Amino acid sequence: MSATVTEVVPPTRPGTLKILLREPAAAVSLTVVVLVILAALLAPWLAPYDPFETDLMAVMQPPDEKYLLGTDGQGRDMLSRMLFGLRVTLAMGALSLGIGGVIGVAMGFAAAYYRRIDGLLMRLADIMLSFPAILFGLAIAAIFGPGVTAVVIALAVATIPLMARIARSTALVVLGLDYIEAAHAQGMGDARLIWRHLMPNCASPILVFATLRFGQVILLGSALSFLGLGAQPPVAELGAMAAQGRTFLFFAPHISVIPAVGIFVVVLAFNVLGDALRDALDPRLRV
Amino acid sequence: MTPLLEIQGLRTVFRSANGDIPAVDGVDLAVPRGKTLGIVGESGCGKSMLSLSVMRLVPRPGRVAAGRVLLEGQNLLDLSEAGMRAVRGGQVAMIFQEPMTSLNPVHPIGLQIMEAMRAHDTKASNRELRDRAIAALDRVRIPAAARRFDEFPHQLSGGMRQRVMIAMALACRPKLLIADEPTTALDVTVQAQILDLLKDLQAETGMSIVLITHELGVIAEMADEVAVMYAGRIAERSTAAELFASPQHPYTLGLLGSVPRLDETREELLAIEGAVPPPFALPKGCRFEPRCPFALAACRSAPPPLEEVAPGHFAACIRAPVENSLDIAA
Repeated sequence: MSATVTEVVPPTRPGTLKILLREPAAAVSLTVVVLVILAALLAPWLAPYDPFETDLMAVMQPPDEKYLLGTDGQGRDMLSRMLFGLRVTLAMGALSLGIGGVIGVAMGFAAAYYRRIDGLLMRLADIMLSFPAILFGLAIAAIFGPGVTAVVIALAVATIPLMARIARSTALVVLGLDYIEAAHAQGMGDARLIWRHLMPNCASPILVFATLRFGQVILLGSALSFLGLGAQPPVAELGAMAAQGRTFLFFAPHISVIPAVGIFVVVLAFNVLGDALRDALDPRLRV
Repeated sequence: MTPLLEIQGLRTVFRSANGDIPAVDGVDLAVPRGKTLGIVGESGCGKSMLSLSVMRLVPRPGRVAAGRVLLEGQNLLDLSEAGMRAVRGGQVAMIFQEPMTSLNPVHPIGLQIMEAMRAHDTKASNRELRDRAIAALDRVRIPAAARRFDEFPHQLSGGMRQRVMIAMALACRPKLLIADEPTTALDVTVQAQILDLLKDLQAETGMSIVLITHELGVIAEMADEVAVMYAGRIAERSTAAELFASPQHPYTLGLLGSVPRLDETREELLAIEGAVPPPFALPKGCRFEPRCPFALAACRSAPPPLEEVAPGHFAACIRAPVENSLDIAA
């Protein structure tokens, strides 16, 4: 058999990013997410003032040209505090999502791959799910004392069962596919099979869920901080800032409203992005 | 010379609420070295379960309940899971029916061949494995192997993917290749190319092949020996030439009668009446009896043993040799 070599030019498939940017809402949310992350990372360079420096001559100033977002009850610059607060809020969310995600995905994959322990792991997940995250946060704060650590632990634990369920159901579908059987027939070991074949093929639903969950985690984290269980003064954190401003809500509403709007925008952006990502990663919509 | 693979009394069952349901029920087979054994039968006759039993990859809730699978005298059913993993892809490799879905869509094909090699060789450097993977692609006649190395499965046709699967299966030079309907999903022309390739590779490497198929044409093309399976049992076993020249089991006759041929003028094909009995409602006697045009009362009482009707030719039918007693419809 002789084969002539012909140059095959495969039709270029639009990348995920390109599909994502087709949708205006997705493009806007992605831009907001990128800007928010950049702002948080570059806070020390972007902030016009020290976020902890008080100017007692300018307390509760509404936004003006000196203090672009005004000042809070102690005369600290709101813009600088927002930038640093964003840092703490995002870091809290990322850390808890990271910890909860890794443990949850490992748990879900283990349940799907080793069916023997499936029942045990999933009932464990059910038990974890039956605790409201806020209640759990209260318990953790009571044990470790309130602070960012307590919030991260509480949110990570609240994320584990959700991630485990998503990972398990996705893995069960992938494990039923022919290339998994082929890999078994090649004598591939469990660890390699999970890493090489299971992980990459389960990535997109997990990634989508993680994006959506990030918004929820930030909201929960801010709520815990608002309740005084999270970031403690003088640390700037969006939820805590909103809480500190509520005494002055009637004569200086900007102190509470600005961090609240910040939380709203971040959560909304991550939710819209998650939805758009789900559509973009769906191979059926790849045209 | 002893056969490469010997299967003795193999029984694979699936657990159910009503007790164990047999998928493979007391099968004895031998695969000679360097030769091809064809296993032919209808869907659901247990031929795929037989091959998965040899690999110890029967999906749950199935399990091998009895028997021995001797690879060069070593019973694979006694091996530890780690020992079995070394056999899979090492000494015994397998290719599957669906080349379209048997490759992982997210990795380039070359990497997947390297992975198959890596499973049995932890020492070789990546560069060395890469060279060997390209050589493997070259060996299955994939043009421009070095460039194809980085392509993804979706960029290849079905025939090319099956070649990649064969390259992966042969990556570690197995002594036995189990091919489970390797050409069923392919075009007829591509089918012939793949079968030719398998034959060439067999001549090069001296491996044995177990070819599972439901097409007698493929058997005629490829097999040295044939086993006809029906409802989890061997109905007839002989060399391929002998089987086509003088089939002894009514089921084999039925199979041959239902193949259209160019060298005969027949008005109608002989179809076998009815369907394979479901494995949970098997007849007590001969399993083919309800569909057999030649059945006797005695067929219903006990399953007929697989008996030698001519040298090297076995049939599980109390009326074999069958031509003696019957006037076969031409």
